[in-house]
This record gives sequence, C-alpha cells and structure tokens, in this order.
Amino acid sequence: MAAAAESILALTGKRTTGQSIRSQNVTAAVAIANIVKSSLGPVGLDKMLVDDVGDVIITNDGATILKQLEVEHPAGKVLVELAQLQDEEVGDGTTSVVIVAAELLKLADELVKNKLHPTTVINGFRLACKESVKYLNENLSFPVEELGRQSLINAAKTSMSSKIIGPDMDFFSEMVVEATELVKVTDSATGKITYPIKAINVLKAHGKSARESQLIKGYALNCTVACQGMPLQIKDAKIACLDFSLQKAKMHLGISVVVDDPVKLEAIRREEFDIVKRRIEKILAAGANVVLTSGGIDDLCLKMFTEAGAMGVRRCKKSDLKRIAKATGATLTSSLANLEGEETFDASQLGHAEEVVQQRISDDELILIRGTKARTASSIILRGANDTMLDEMERSVHDSLCVVRRVLESGRLVAGGGAVEAALNVYLESFATTLSSREQLAVAEFAQALLVIPKTLSANAARDSTDLVAKLRAFHHKAQQNSKLSHLKWAGLDLENGEVRDNKEAGIFEPSMSKVKSIKFATEAAITILRIDDLIKLDKEEPRGGDQCGA
Amino acid sequence: MAPAAAAPSAAKSGKDTNFKDKEKSGSVRSSNIVAAKAVADAVRTSLGPRGMDKMIQSGNGDVTITNDGATILNQMSVIHPTAKMLVELSKAQDIEAGDGTTTVVVIAGALLDAAQKLLVKGIHPTAISESFQRAAAQAEIILQNMATPIDLANDEQLVKLATTSLNSKVVSQHSWLLAPMAVNAVKKVLDESRPDNVDLKAIKIIKKMGDTVEESEMIDGALIDQKTMGRGGPTRVEKAKIALIQFQLSAPKTDMENQVIISDYAQMDRALKEERQYLLDLCKQIKKSGCNVLLIQKSILRDAVSELSLHFLAKMKIMVVKDIERDDIEFYSNILGCRPIASVDHMVAESLGSADLVEEISTGGDGKVIKVTGIQSSGPAVSILLRGSNKLVLEEADRSLHDALCVIRCLVKKRFLLPGGGAPEMEVACKLREKANERGGAEQYCWRAFADALELVPYTLAENAGLSPIHTVTELRSQHANGHSNYGVNVRKGFVTDMKEENVVQPLLVSHNAIKQASECVRSILKIDDIV
Repeated sequence: MAAAAESILALTGKRTTGQSIRSQNVTAAVAIANIVKSSLGPVGLDKMLVDDVGDVIITNDGATILKQLEVEHPAGKVLVELAQLQDEEVGDGTTSVVIVAAELLKLADELVKNKLHPTTVINGFRLACKESVKYLNENLSFPVEELGRQSLINAAKTSMSSKIIGPDMDFFSEMVVEATELVKVTDSATGKITYPIKAINVLKAHGKSARESQLIKGYALNCTVACQGMPLQIKDAKIACLDFSLQKAKMHLGISVVVDDPVKLEAIRREEFDIVKRRIEKILAAGANVVLTSGGIDDLCLKMFTEAGAMGVRRCKKSDLKRIAKATGATLTSSLANLEGEETFDASQLGHAEEVVQQRISDDELILIRGTKARTASSIILRGANDTMLDEMERSVHDSLCVVRRVLESGRLVAGGGAVEAALNVYLESFATTLSSREQLAVAEFAQALLVIPKTLSANAARDSTDLVAKLRAFHHKAQQNSKLSHLKWAGLDLENGEVRDNKEAGIFEPSMSKVKSIKFATEAAITILRIDDLIKLDKEEPRGGDQCGA
Repeated sequence: MAPAAAAPSAAKSGKDTNFKDKEKSGSVRSSNIVAAKAVADAVRTSLGPRGMDKMIQSGNGDVTITNDGATILNQMSVIHPTAKMLVELSKAQDIEAGDGTTTVVVIAGALLDAAQKLLVKGIHPTAISESFQRAAAQAEIILQNMATPIDLANDEQLVKLATTSLNSKVVSQHSWLLAPMAVNAVKKVLDESRPDNVDLKAIKIIKKMGDTVEESEMIDGALIDQKTMGRGGPTRVEKAKIALIQFQLSAPKTDMENQVIISDYAQMDRALKEERQYLLDLCKQIKKSGCNVLLIQKSILRDAVSELSLHFLAKMKIMVVKDIERDDIEFYSNILGCRPIASVDHMVAESLGSADLVEEISTGGDGKVIKVTGIQSSGPAVSILLRGSNKLVLEEADRSLHDALCVIRCLVKKRFLLPGGGAPEMEVACKLREKANERGGAEQYCWRAFADALELVPYTLAENAGLSPIHTVTELRSQHANGHSNYGVNVRKGFVTDMKEENVVQPLLVSHNAIKQASECVRSILKIDDIV
C-alpha cells in the first residue's frame, strides 16, 4: 500500500518516511560531528580546508570548519546552524555543542529502534536538559570573585589551549584579558556594564613570530596618511571624523550645467573646487589637525592639509570611524550643514587623543591613535609567519575574547576538562532512577551522551578513554554521595599526563554560560531532528511544458 | 485495504500521463479517490500530540520542518488535480479556523475511503453525496448538543484550549509560556464593537534567532523589526512622541523628467543650498510638532530618507526608523495611537502618538529590534517577540503560535467548547449510527459509513501514540455507547479517559468546520465522473 500511495501521491520529488528517515538524519548528523570531533580539546588537531577557488583555511574552530563545508543534507544543515548559533551567542564551545547534539541523536535513535516512542525520548531529553542546567547553576559553578583576575586569565587560557596559539597562551591570555578590560563600557542610563569586544580592533601583520604580537592601548587604523608631506606624528591631536568625501563638488543628477561663454567655464571649475575648499577651511578653522574620512580626498585638497600641518587619512572603514569617534569623543559627521541651512564645523565635533602617529609594522604602515580621551580603546596587532596562521590566530583570539567577555558579564565559571559533563552524567543517572516512567531511559541516555565530551577529549589526547572516564566518574560519584568529599566535584581530566586532577586548582575554567547554552542548544537541535518522520524532497522546478495535466 | 482491485489500475494512471485521457467514469472516480487518499495518508502521521514532524526540502534547497497540516500540504507540490483539492481544503480550514488542518484532511480521506466501499456496493454517487450532506448536517447538530458554552472571561479555560492546540507542536514543552501569551494577546485585541470576531493582524509576531523559545515574550507595547538609522541620533528616547510619516525626506523629484540648468557658477552653490534648505524645512517642521521618534514608510520611488536629512534629524535628537512596510502602517498607527501623516503640512502634535520609552534592544548577534513601551492611548494591538535556537524551530514556533491564536479566535467567534482527544468524532459516530437505523434505503448504509469514517480520527491518534488502535477505539466506542460522551483517547496515560478532566479541550468551530468542509470536499470529488 505504501508503495502504491507513493506513486499515487504524484509528487514532483522524493519522499522518505518512518524509521529510515530518522536513521538517515541521525547518520547525517553523526557524520558532521565526526568531522569536527578530532579537533576538540587541548590536544585536538586542526583541519585544512581548501575551497573551490583554492583558498586554504587551517582551523580548529568548529563553527569555521562547518561553515566551510557545503553541507547538503537538511539535517546536517541544522547542526551547522547550531554551531553558528553557539558562535554568535557565546563565541566558544562550537565544537562541543555539535558533538553533544550528534551523540544525543545517536542514542535517541537506538532508543527509538527499541520501540520507545520518539515523543517519550523527547520529553526525557527536555527533562534532563532542565535538570542539568539547574544542577549546573546550583552546584557546579562558582563566581569569578572567588579567584579574581587570575580566573579570567585562566578562562582565556583554557579556550586558547586547543588552538594554534596554545604554546604562547600565557602571553596571549594576559593580552586578551587586558584588551577586554580596556573596552569596558558602563551604560549611564541603566548602570549595566558591558564589554563590546567588537570595539577591539584585531589587525594582522605578516612577519615575525606570534610572540611579537602586541596590544595597543588605543586604536590601530589600517590606513596611511594621504600624502607624504603630511606630518607622521601629531601630539595632542584634535580629530575630525567625516563620513563624506572631500572631493570636487559634483552636481546632483538632473542638474546640468550649460555654459555659453568659455570664460564662465573656468569660473565654474573654480567654484567646484571652492565649494570643497570652503568646507576644509571650516574644519581646519575649528582646530582639527587630524582628519579621518570614509570617502576620498582630492589631490588639490591634500595641499591644504599639508600647508596647515594637519594629517589627512582617506578611505577609512566606516566601522573603524564609528569606534574612533566613540573612543575619542568625536562626532561622526555626515554633513556640515547646520540647522540654519549653512555649512559650519564646530569645535565640539572634534575628538581628542594624546597622540596620533603613523608607524611601520612589517611591510604595512598603521596609524595608531593613542591616549583617547572619552573612552579607553584597545587594539591587538597579531604577527605570524603566514596568512593561514594569522587567520587562525585571529579566530582563536576572537574566541578567547568572547570567553573573557562572557565571564566578566555573567560572572560565573565552571571547571573545564570534562568535569561538568562527568558530574552531570553522574547526577542525571541517579536522577533517572528516581523516575518511574519511560522517560527514565531517555534521561539515562542523555546522561550517557554528555560523556562524549570527556571521552573525545581523552581519545584525542591518545589516552585510554575508558579508563580515564571511569576514574573521573568515580570521583564525581564520591563527591555527590559524600558531602565531605564535595571538593572532588571539580575533578576533570589532565590530558597532558593522562590522569584525573582537580581542575579548579589547575585553573581550567570555562564560562558557565557557555556550558548552559551549549546544553540547551544541543538539546533543542536534537529534538528538532528527532521529531521528523517524513522527508519530502522536491525536485528543482523546471520550466513547465504546459502539456501536462493542465492544472 | 479494500480498494485493492482499483488501486493497481489507478496507480498507473496516477502518475501524470494517463489522467488527461478520457476514461470511464468509474475508474476516474476511483483514481480521484485514491489520489486524494494518498494525500490524507501523507499527513496522517502528524496528527495529535504524539504526531511527528515532516521535513520538506523544496526545489531550491530550503528546508521546512513542520507539524502543521496546511503547511505540509502547501509545501509539497502535488500534481494530481484531486489531490490539489485536498490541499485547498486544508487551506480553507486554515483560513476559517486556523487549526485542525490535519484533521480535516484525515476526515476527508476517511470519507473517501467509505465512499469507495459504497460505490463498490453499487450505490449511486449522487445518493452517497446527498446522504453525506445530510449526515454532516446531523453531525453538526450532535456536536452542538455535546458542546458546553464558555465565558470569555474564564482565562483558565482559554489557556487549556491553547495548550491543547500547542501540544502537537515542537514547542509543546513551552506551552506553559505560549498558551497564556496567546490568550492575553487575543483578549487585548478583542474589539468591543465587533464582539464575535478578532482581527489577528493586530497581533504582530516578530521572530528573532538566538536564545531558546523560553525567552519569548509578549510586549506590552509595540515592536518594530528595524534598526535605528544611527548617524549619532539617539537609540533610546524617553517620553517619546512618535510620528509615522508616509512622505520622503529626500531631494524632491517631479513626476516628469526634469532638468535644472545652471549657467553661472554662483548658481551651483545655490543649488546645493536649496536642497539643504528644503530638507531643513521639512525636518524643522517635524521637530516643531514635538516629535522625537520618526517612523518612515518604505518608499520605492525615492530614497525614503537621505543622508543629509538623517544628519539634521540626528542633530535635532530625533530617532529615525525607516523602511516600515506599507502593510504594517495600519498596525503601527493602531498600536501607537498615532495617525499616519501623508504630507508635512499635516505634521501636527495631535497626530503623534506618545510612549514612555522607545529604545533599541539587541537580540543577540546583529539582530536589533525597537521596543516601544508605556504607550498612551494605545489601540487594540499587541506584539510578540519570538525566540528560537535555529531558523527551523523559530518558524515552527511562529506557525504554532499562529494556530493557538486562531483557536482562541474560534472561541470568540463561537463560544462553545468540545472535549478533545477524538471525543467529538467518536460521539458523532455513535449518535449517527443510532440515527442511521431510522433511515431507509441506501441512506442507512451511507450514514453508517460516514460514522465509521469519523472513527479514523481517534484511531489515528491512538496509532500515532503507539497505542493499540483497535483496543483503544473499541474501548472508546463502548464508553460513548454508555453515555460518557466526554471520553477520548488519553495519549499521555495510554488509555481512554474523560477528556474534560484532563483539560484537553478544543473549540466547537474547529470540529464543526472540519466535518462540514471535509464532507463538502468529498461530495465534490464524488460528483466528478470525467477528467478532460
């Protein structure tokens, strides 16, 4: 009957139903997870991705790997989206979220094959997710204040340990924490403290080694002065940020210039220049000695700046200008017009900085704005041997910045190295036995699925994962059974030496928010895929001949 | 199943080559029936709280995951004309009731199956068709009798109702949040002057990726899915005066081709100045009216707002939001209590809406929405901010919430409740079977068949939940025969219980419409004896 219905339904496409589609989805998800699996943890390895144009990316970051893969399978796409979401919301933990989701699916598929209804499995997963988040918040996390600034550095180190900059993590973690602290913003209205890490400008420069990377207290702009005659260093700078071109004025569309006397032509040409000249005069008169614009500056106009001893920088990125404006207290000006219909430039629109200087770093010249007045700013200049390495360094630094920011904003940490997963596993298993319904099985499987993290961590480190995970669980079991031994709950894996240790002592931290979100997101994604029992794949629409069935 | 004899021949003709040919009316009819039943079978597994989802990948690779019958049928492009009728049927139910889109198709499929058996017995299609019509009319009366009236003030009941509708969806775990949200939203937009209908357009659902569904909220105010224009303008305005303008703040343009001719250099400066002056005048007039939040309608012909005017407005500390869709103008003017302003001459303080606070909030990633709270003289309109961890969940949450809203709306239209869980269908089936005995001739057969067909709903519910359908349905039938008309399939407990006690309820309108529309659709399919 099913086969008959298939053909009668007369779809322009393929339809797959029932258990086969579920297994197919799960297989796709597991395949995706297997790709990123080996990159998890401090001893995880990198992937080299070559796209169709031949660009090479070497990375350890789950979200980046998955983004580059052109995943076709719809269920696979759900996982890719999941990694990206984790990247956006937290910035770190992208690999682990995918692995957990895939493991959940794999175990759920087994349950369904053993005649447990998918909805029961889903209910169990939801319950387990809720319980684990609750337990995590109550028992497994601790506030940053307990350990102070060192904990921030440690959290940054943990996130870096798996990346290419791992060997230099002492150096980089210090840098990242300092950079984040520099961009602290307190909202005057609500008193909320935020750390907009977007405001940290990360620049890449070829050459030298990673250790030569530097943090600049100020803003580094990847531009050069517009012409050689301009000063390369200005102390006590007054900065004008413009969002328009300083070029010869062009008339709008629909305005045409008709001249009947050749003499007038010259006058019009002069006027074209004079319009912009008047503008520049106004800006310079207001006291500006550094002019940054997102547009271009004409050669004619450059002369005026050079004569006035001002620095002019053209073609700055608008996002850069916005940040500079914020940091220096300048107003990003998109037009000189004032409320009287005239053009003026007021000195209050200028921003201030102690020093603006053009510096040569490797082959490139950068403009550094130091000692900004309104707000502190920070930039990181990364150095590295080649492009692919620099790109990966940038991603790693970005991940660490996200981690530090999350720690600062949420103020809570958990111990890393599989400690949380193992603790949750032990907790959920005992919790499952308190349930007398079918959900028990699903909750137990959920607990089992979480173990994939410590297992993968130790497997990647070429350790005996069965042995290590068993030890780890034993520690956590003791901690949860005996309140005197509760310090054992920080037990996590030491992958260098292949043993279990107190990861709180060792300083392996992760922001608790990252863990909570990754558990929540992974559960939600797994549920989405589990609920599907039917896949209808429509063919690409082709231009219809019109002779068929006429409907 | 029974139509084994007809199926093979129909299976061949079903593809798409044969049904344009003239065929004998009998085989046309059975081909139609088989095609329509195939559609019904396709959505059957998504019925009920334990129903599963479908994943549909369209030709261009977009993926939809849904449990909503109307959406599934809409997405899968069926070819057979009769199958298309069923798709239409589901759409009609979606428009009229908003929920029960799967039920209606399942009932239609069951009725067709019944009709086929009757045809085999040699009963004339017209007789079947007319008997079905009378049976459907009788069913309506039975439903009406078993329904209990409800007071709209009874929030608790309404929440239960919305929960039942949400139960089958992926967001069922969040029904504690979404159900009261749906109830409150509908109550808010309830128009006193037209008490028996609700305009769901007055409820604006804004979807934003990120966070989980739990973080969704109903905003006591308005949400605008746009960013502020920036340029140093404010992103947070207290004691806001909001203007909604439909004219543009950019250099004027005439309808005809025009050309400004300049012949002297002094005129160049004037041309520039003129533009500045023109925009400045507009902006000043806006400022004069006391406005400090400006919403600008999207414009195709001209830039809705130019850089220069943004600059002016930012200087005047006016928050600018552009690209308000034309369709949304009515909603915003309603909720914000402001009049849309078509020309700058009408820019007066009276047409502005006022609110305590307008602010831009970020929703993770790059997403930003503008939230308006503390609106004075707000019209009947609400906004809901929906969150979800991925696009598919988010869209399904949107559809589910829409269904829940529709269910509440149904209740406003017709204030009667029915128990859920297949109870009404079983009750109708039982009563119809009794009444059938009073009928004579072929009609008796048809009524019985109609009654049997309706039992497919509880049958499917039980089947999807992994219960034994035969046991469940027979148990249910005997309960109804003993007068327990509220008994239905309890999917959670796995046996037959009183659905009213379990708080599983549904509005009368949904079942009512489903039976009516399904039988009408079946009648029109039965009447076809030729496809050309």
